[in-house]
Amino acid sequence: MTQYYLPKDKVPIPPPNAEVFTTACDYCIVACGYKVYRWPVGKDGGPSAMDNALLADFPLEPLGKSGVAWYGPNNHNVVMVNNKPHNIIVVADAETGAVNLNGDHSIRGGCIAKKPYNPNTPTRDRLQRPMIRIFDHLMPVTWDFATDIFAEMSNYVIDKYGANAWAHKQYSYQYWENTYALTKLALRHIGTASFSPHDQPGPGGDAIGLRDTGYAKFAPSYWDWAHADTLFISGTDPYETKTVLWNEWILPAINKRKMKVIMVMPRKTMGAAYAEANGGLFLQLIPGTDTVLQNAIARQIIEMDGIDKEWIKKWTNNKWETDSGFGQGTRNSPWQWRSTWGKFETSGYDNGKKSFKTWLFSQKEFELNAAAELTGVSAAKIKKAAEMMSQKKGKPTKVSIALEKGNYWSNNYGNTVSIASLAVITGTGGRPGRMIGRLGGHQRGGRGGGKYIRTKGPEKNEGRRKKPIDLDRWLVSGHVRFANVVGCTWVSGMAGAQGGIGDAFNRQTRKNAHQVHSFNKSEIISTLKKRVDSGGMVVANWDIYLRDPIGVKYADIVFPAATWGEVDFARANGERRCRLYSKFYDAPGDAKPDWEIAGLVAKKMGFPGFDWKDSNQVFEETARFSRKSRVAYDSIVWMAKKNGMKGHELLGKLGTTGIQAPVRIMDKAYANSKDPRINRPGRKFAGDQQEVLKGLEWRGGVLFATVRQHDTEMKMPDTGHPERTIFNKLELKYKSQTGKLNLLKSPWNQFSDFWEWWKPKGEELWVTNGRINEIWQSGFDDMFRRPYITQRFPENWLEIHPEDAKARGIESGDQLVITCDRVPIQKDYNQAVFSGDFMFSNLMKQGHIKLTKASITGVAIVTPIVRKGTTWTYFQNPHQPANALVPMVPDWVTNRYRFKLGVGKVKKIGESPYKRTYRAFSFARRDIV
Amino acid sequence: MEKKEEKCFSLCSNRRQFLLASGVATATVVLSGIPGMGAKKAEAITTGYPRQKVASLSSLKTGKPVEFKYPDTKKYSGSFIVKLGTEAGGGVGPAKDVVAFNNFCQHMGGKMLDGGYKAADKAVGPCPYHQTTFDLTRHGIVISGHSTESISQILLEVEGNDVYAYGMMGLIYGRHSNL
Repeated sequence: MTQYYLPKDKVPIPPPNAEVFTTACDYCIVACGYKVYRWPVGKDGGPSAMDNALLADFPLEPLGKSGVAWYGPNNHNVVMVNNKPHNIIVVADAETGAVNLNGDHSIRGGCIAKKPYNPNTPTRDRLQRPMIRIFDHLMPVTWDFATDIFAEMSNYVIDKYGANAWAHKQYSYQYWENTYALTKLALRHIGTASFSPHDQPGPGGDAIGLRDTGYAKFAPSYWDWAHADTLFISGTDPYETKTVLWNEWILPAINKRKMKVIMVMPRKTMGAAYAEANGGLFLQLIPGTDTVLQNAIARQIIEMDGIDKEWIKKWTNNKWETDSGFGQGTRNSPWQWRSTWGKFETSGYDNGKKSFKTWLFSQKEFELNAAAELTGVSAAKIKKAAEMMSQKKGKPTKVSIALEKGNYWSNNYGNTVSIASLAVITGTGGRPGRMIGRLGGHQRGGRGGGKYIRTKGPEKNEGRRKKPIDLDRWLVSGHVRFANVVGCTWVSGMAGAQGGIGDAFNRQTRKNAHQVHSFNKSEIISTLKKRVDSGGMVVANWDIYLRDPIGVKYADIVFPAATWGEVDFARANGERRCRLYSKFYDAPGDAKPDWEIAGLVAKKMGFPGFDWKDSNQVFEETARFSRKSRVAYDSIVWMAKKNGMKGHELLGKLGTTGIQAPVRIMDKAYANSKDPRINRPGRKFAGDQQEVLKGLEWRGGVLFATVRQHDTEMKMPDTGHPERTIFNKLELKYKSQTGKLNLLKSPWNQFSDFWEWWKPKGEELWVTNGRINEIWQSGFDDMFRRPYITQRFPENWLEIHPEDAKARGIESGDQLVITCDRVPIQKDYNQAVFSGDFMFSNLMKQGHIKLTKASITGVAIVTPIVRKGTTWTYFQNPHQPANALVPMVPDWVTNRYRFKLGVGKVKKIGESPYKRTYRAFSFARRDIV
Repeated sequence: MEKKEEKCFSLCSNRRQFLLASGVATATVVLSGIPGMGAKKAEAITTGYPRQKVASLSSLKTGKPVEFKYPDTKKYSGSFIVKLGTEAGGGVGPAKDVVAFNNFCQHMGGKMLDGGYKAADKAVGPCPYHQTTFDLTRHGIVISGHSTESISQILLEVEGNDVYAYGMMGLIYGRHSNL
């Protein structure tokens, strides 16, 4: 691990004939546009505009004003192309038409040139060969050898133990081509219900209350986040995690439009401090209490008569409308399958005893002073927030509401329902600048190649209502015989990482008596068969680096994957913007894209439809499955084909600006109309009016982008253009049978039994966790393979309030141990019989909860940015996994973990070397404004 | 290549002293002691900087930055020297608390002193453009923000009461080469 980084003081300049590729950053959801300049080593250009491909004179101007963003040593790398070394610089595109205007970038994207493989850098350990664990060493073998074993073991497990014994956990985001191929294998062909995305114990949504209310979670555009009067952000600071969304959209709106930002988190970072200092508000709540806070604000708004009455009247369902029909009423919908009965449903806003308003005012926790006590946010601040969100007479307050993991990963259903209700009563969610949605984590690169069959899942609610699986619990209970792990960190990435899932992996692989001690393929297979027959498990891991522990300790089969910059890929960002991520260098060694690996194993397992020749073929196949989704890009592929192009090719022409989905083919007259009901606010960033699209049409239709979903004031044509156009109801309305919103209840008592039991007792403190600006890819890239970032954060740390630190004799730089001896693990596989069986207090009573021990270390940062009683740590250091301190008891309604609610005791065990040296870490506060 | 590096290091004894003093002794030992090991690290360091008096110790007041230009007077040469009042990485003077940095944010070229020197935190910023802050006790490392490098540190040495600049760590914003 490099703990010092000595930067260079010069960078090479691309010559005039350098090749230029467009791409977007691989990391956060914002996905800033980048240009890659590539030229052979030894052929540098010069600092005059005449002598370089940047067409700019050095020194460059600030803020991208030279037409190109300045680049430093971390923007440069040397890569191999056709076996010849080439320089690359990867520079934020100052000429892009969207997202990162002016060539803005985060520290993460700004260093992305260091991602490509270069044996002279810490990327030298990229996986390059397929490997099999023999004599407890992962040994390089051929693709044929490794995929033979994979296929035979998979078929053996599926035939003998059923598809649900073949478990599959994969990233949900790493490009449409890959996620499509992987789910085509796992869901369409193998048909396993043992499936989960990288960050959850099972399939399904994340902000589920939004969905049940009727909101699509990525409906807004970035323009909307910049055009509210009051922007309420809960559970994230976009400055830290969605940097350019803050820099180029939210920050200018605060400075120029005087937009007020209310930020809700237990920890005050730069964005929160800036918002507070500029007319906004920072609500520093106690972890897990968002439901109380949001409902208390809602109640205050109603008391102030600040609701949007007309909106509520027009857009909310009454009881009959909620219950009616198939689709998104309660009948045969995910809502009904969750068996929540009358716990959350209302009869509408204020019509009768079962109305939202009657319920809200009957709940004692949401009364102002009680809420202040529970949340730790003063009554005055709750009131102030309500005032800022209230509709004023004669002048609407444009409220937008954003949420992220701090909100939905503590009390998933309660928090997401109550924030959606707050949106409904303030008239939020259907007009420009008045939107609700997630700000997002990873980019949106999920494309289903098959459907998850919930009825095959082993878990059920009371009645005959199947739930999506909790795959961690299924594995811990010993039902998995083959675990296929693609590009994610099963174990440290999940809750109860030590006592729960970590322990189970170890027991079912390394501690099993049947270990491979032979290079003979049939002997290997027969040993692994004995292992699964004795209750053990075979583990395959596809990744770009060998991750600890899943690859290092548990994998029997390792496949090396090719990634960003090595293959043409496509996906969307947090405002549904689709772009091509171009290949600009050759993947190292034998590494292959996951779609190709999926094809290799699928064919050997006997499945048809995996004969793709290149990435574009996969992309084009995925397109038709996107048609009903928020990122419908089928029209792009259709338009490309009809004009003699490939799908990737047309997407590539759209460059770093890309195009906002759903993309449709619309009649030219409609598409070019200046009617503000068609040419919607924010359209100039949508990407469908780019020069490269001029003249590109099919039967009088052209590509037409979608600025925002639920755009209730938008005018649609009477009839759509006939070609490949599916009009989704969500473009004008909401996800319910009637197209209107469900105003739901979010009772605190559905969660409080757990929260009261778990909250810190005695010497314990909350150990909440999250992302930090400087680190995106916790293991792949930033944390271990960027010398500068590694110097900034060489290991995990714990932020602790000065008073909590003083009481424990802790100073910044001290080495800490954080322990918990009561991390609850929901241990059995459960099938609820009676209503409430899955509630925490009932699980405890019925003996389904096991208490385990967990312990991690960290370096102390004593700082007033965390509230007293609450500490904060980085969420995903594989060697010091904060998730070990997180309960492995998911939300009973939605099966989503409460990742942000760790608890532990904090103790100093000495000093770290960083305390008295100056190269690594900084212990300064992060809220200096 | 090795010979060139060795030559560089014999000529640059001041920088070597700086590196030793600021806790990267192992790096320099590796560079000069084990042939073939250090080439990559050594690329980070360029020779040929002017030696220039930038302040006198007695005139520096704790917490009050003084501006100067380095390594030339061209665009983006604006720099500042500050006595922090606590020991710092690369610090000179009796208390090892005098440090100097280029004044331009490595993110998009904002003038850091426009955001101010924050004596309580020994930090500079926030950058007026996008709020990046840098820790001046730790070689100018990013505290919070978007810069892909530390703010460029100017290497200092003391002769009597005089403080001299003699080199830089990191590339100055806007330039492709410091010199």
